[in-house]
Amino acid sequence: MIDWAYIWAAVPDLMRGLGMTLIVSFLAILFSLIGGVIGCALRVSPIKPLSWLVAGYVEFIRGTPYLVQVFFVFYGLPSLGLRLSIFWSGVVALSLWASVFHIESFRAGLSSVSKDIRNASASLGLRRWHHGLFVVLPIAARSALPSTLNTIVSTIKNSAYLQAIGLVELTFVAVDRIAYEFRSIEMFLSICVIYLAVVLVVSTLGHRLERRLDRPYAGR
Amino acid sequence: MSLLYEYRVFLFSGFVQTLLMSLVVALGTTAVAILLVAMLQSKLRLVSRLGYALVEVLRDIPLMVNVLMVYFMLPLIGLGFGPFWSVCVAISIWGGANGAQILRAGLHSVGQGQRETAAAFNFGPVKTLFLIVLPQAMPVILPPYISLMTAVVQATSLGAVVGATELLRAGQILIEQTTIMRGGSPAYLVYGSILVVYFVLCSLISFVGARLEAYYQRPYRTDASRKIDARAHEIEATVQTSA
Repeated sequence: MIDWAYIWAAVPDLMRGLGMTLIVSFLAILFSLIGGVIGCALRVSPIKPLSWLVAGYVEFIRGTPYLVQVFFVFYGLPSLGLRLSIFWSGVVALSLWASVFHIESFRAGLSSVSKDIRNASASLGLRRWHHGLFVVLPIAARSALPSTLNTIVSTIKNSAYLQAIGLVELTFVAVDRIAYEFRSIEMFLSICVIYLAVVLVVSTLGHRLERRLDRPYAGR
Repeated sequence: MSLLYEYRVFLFSGFVQTLLMSLVVALGTTAVAILLVAMLQSKLRLVSRLGYALVEVLRDIPLMVNVLMVYFMLPLIGLGFGPFWSVCVAISIWGGANGAQILRAGLHSVGQGQRETAAAFNFGPVKTLFLIVLPQAMPVILPPYISLMTAVVQATSLGAVVGATELLRAGQILIEQTTIMRGGSPAYLVYGSILVVYFVLCSLISFVGARLEAYYQRPYRTDASRKIDARAHEIEATVQTSA
């Protein structure tokens, strides 16, 4: 029933698509992590208007469909004077979406560091940035890690939305072939397996990292 | 703006479709989630294993792929219902898998001792579930579940990809028509307005959800409810809460 030879013949195309998926996801993960750090810093900053601005941005992105955001960036921004290619529209939309979840998980991580720890470092005479870098960051990073990993995996999965604006990534390749050759079972089976494999690899690496970071707490 | 006013009837009919679809996927998601969690809790190993595999695989496949797959594959097994229902089915399956994850973790958060005590009082499984376990699990389940509900409502916008005439598709048609007939693309205006409509809709769901959460949190004191919040956040971190 399943034509394996057809799948085999489609492998080069699918791999090119996978390459694009991975490149877009990688760039978006990178930019969204940077955006998450900056956004989180602004969110917890004492300057209230900035904090509110970031809070509003987070609420807005979380409260709207990602697909409409993608269309807004690709079709809407050119009439406002910002013309991006398909690729960069995708990277921008994906980064904007993911950064919101990073901001929230970093903020939750920071709030897991109790006030007593701040007093403890102050009494040890640590400088502010020493306190931030060597005390707060390791604690906050551990507690933010699970949700950050979840967002990273979601970023890879959500790169599939970009086929809607014509980015030639994995899903686009499959749908494009189906449109010409009608082998939907073969194509969907292949891309599902590929997506599953990618997600499993990334989440396994993530769990390794979690365990590695948990080592100081082992046995507690 | 005058463009939106001119085509208000057309856009409103798209919005009604979105609302209808939202209602269907909210109910469908809950139904699939309950079914899957029943499979997970099953005494038969084969059934619970199958349920576990289904939940994991469905959560790992991108929603976009799921929607396209259901749209292309359902007709092959003789179930061609058109884009509206195929999108509803796809989103319900995806949401149901995420919902099952939430329900499982929520039920798990109620200690075994509670069930044993219920058994000691001669409570049957149904009575135990509805009178003992669920009231305690609800405050943990609700926050991530409300987020999931907003996610499936947002996911209805995927109807546009396979041609179900909901709000986003209506917007696309409007943009195409205007660009052809008048020149100049109103895309930023139309998509911007659709973003605002969805934002209001999802805020409304979150608002109602927050009231519901407060209702179930009533019996708990501040320190206990902080623990419940932490547990709910932990669960929320394992599912996708936006689409």
